[in-house]
Amino acid sequence: MISVRNVHKWFGELHVLKGVSLDVKKGEALVIIGPSGSGKSTLLRCMNLLVSPDEGDILIDGVRVNDPKIRPEWVRQQVGMVFQSFNLFTHLTALQNVVIGLTKVKRLSSTEAERIARFELERVGLADKADAYPAQLSGGQQQRVAIGRALALNPKAVLFDEPTSALDPEYIREVLDVMTKLANEGMTMVVVTHEMGFAQNVGDRVLFMADGIVVEEGTPEEIFERPQQDRTKTFVGTILG
Amino acid sequence: MGVRASARKVWKVLENRPLVRSTIAIASLLALAGLLLASLAEVKLISLGFMADNASFLLVPAITSLTATMVSFAVGIVGAIPMGLIRSFGPRLMKGGGRTALLTAPLYGGVTAYIEAIRGTPALVQIFLVAQVSGILFPGNPNIPFLGGVLALTLNTLGYQAEVFRAGFQSVSQTQIDGAKAIGMRPRQVFAHITLPQGTRLITLPLLNEWLSLFKASALLGIVAVSELNWAAGYLGNNRSHPIEAYIMVSAVYLAIIIPLGKAVGYWERRHRTPGLGTAEPTPAGRGVRPRGLTL
Ligand SMILES: Nc1ncnc2c1ncn2[C@@H]1O[C@H](COP(=O)(O)OP(=O)(O)OP(=O)(O)O)[C@@H](O)[C@H]1O
Ligand SMILES: [Mg+2]
Repeated sequence: MISVRNVHKWFGELHVLKGVSLDVKKGEALVIIGPSGSGKSTLLRCMNLLVSPDEGDILIDGVRVNDPKIRPEWVRQQVGMVFQSFNLFTHLTALQNVVIGLTKVKRLSSTEAERIARFELERVGLADKADAYPAQLSGGQQQRVAIGRALALNPKAVLFDEPTSALDPEYIREVLDVMTKLANEGMTMVVVTHEMGFAQNVGDRVLFMADGIVVEEGTPEEIFERPQQDRTKTFVGTILG
Repeated sequence: MGVRASARKVWKVLENRPLVRSTIAIASLLALAGLLLASLAEVKLISLGFMADNASFLLVPAITSLTATMVSFAVGIVGAIPMGLIRSFGPRLMKGGGRTALLTAPLYGGVTAYIEAIRGTPALVQIFLVAQVSGILFPGNPNIPFLGGVLALTLNTLGYQAEVFRAGFQSVSQTQIDGAKAIGMRPRQVFAHITLPQGTRLITLPLLNEWLSLFKASALLGIVAVSELNWAAGYLGNNRSHPIEAYIMVSAVYLAIIIPLGKAVGYWERRHRTPGLGTAEPTPAGRGVRPRGLTL
């Protein structure tokens, strides 16, 4: 459903992605792991064109989307994104954070938008927090609103960039639970995470990145229990402790 | 009940009533000022009779000061928003290269130079300069002092307001922009629905400070023959030989406008503040703001 074909990205002199290729199938949860600075965020941001690849192609349902003729805003409606630092709009309430994409981007009426937004907040367990501002919510609650905001636009896939790594430990569970439920409902997901429990239980495939390339890819068992590459072994060793 | 206990009790009552607190504070200050005036009158340094007789003379100058400030402030806003935009987004547009960069570079350079020039010269010098030029261009026109004065204040506040807007736009963080882009907003929508509303909230108090500073700077217009408050004080002092009374009266008029306005806007801002979208506490009388020109 999302295909990344031989993508390169440079930031000035820095060669961050050195020919990355991968496929995300419909309904699949793909987990990406790798050391800091290996290019995981950059890869994710290429998939919704927040960063434009310098070489290579991004295809969504077979359509090449890193094409000047295709509006990146259209692509971002198909592929939602959840950030490490939530990125909720600070001047809007939880409900308004979800509504704004529906009214301004999808151009729905405000009553229809509010109906959908309340449903999405319900889905992430925050119906009672509709009128709270982000600053009045815990990190876990903010991240769940952010997931609701992404889901409200009815995307074909959602990209998660370390969604729990900015959270206090006690709030990690509630966010992972929402993501697990989403995966079980058949949402196509690409998740950068170091939550090994989540990767093993929910991930259909795991992909190990280092230094701007995909080093190894396989089922969670293959990557965590029988890694083939030395670099994978070392990394898996450090995170499994 | 001890003194400390009752003081604590009084504070408890006042703690969440800023309006009551301000009223008490202002009433006490007025009482003190009244006492001071009475004792000055007692030692014959000032004449309360003179002040009572001439108070109404200050009405028209007060309106002139207010008009000059409000007109230049309002015109300033209209010009300062685009200038603030160029200042905050210019560098990024120029980095992109190509035709956009070629168009942006002179604009950015021009705006930056203008702001530097305004903020690097005394307001009084700017006022003299505009007065000289307009006097030569329109000799003998009776409206020229006032119009020239308003123009000078406008040019001045434009430079300061542009920086207020620049700071407002720049303080909207990249994570907010990313969040907006990620739900499919176009650049124009990101600006209209995220950058502008967040930036505006962050600059309410800096803009208030600018208004208060500008109002005080309007006193400089008296030097180029605009009949505003400071001019009125000089007039009463020179022609009627009561300079101390005149300047005390004019000070009272400035305070009577600046303090309530600062309090009211500060109160409104606190009521409408979004949790987490903070600004520094209000500085009602424009405290801590740049020094303005020089005073005579
Ligand atoms: N906009 C940018 N401009 C310049 N350099 C960047 C930019 N974004 C990322 N980089 C650099 O690219 C490299 C890869 O960054 P990236 O954020 O993709 O890594 P990551 O695998 O997500 O790391 P982490 O686990 O720390 O999030 C890093 O060296 C980073 O400093
Ligand atoms: Mg990252």
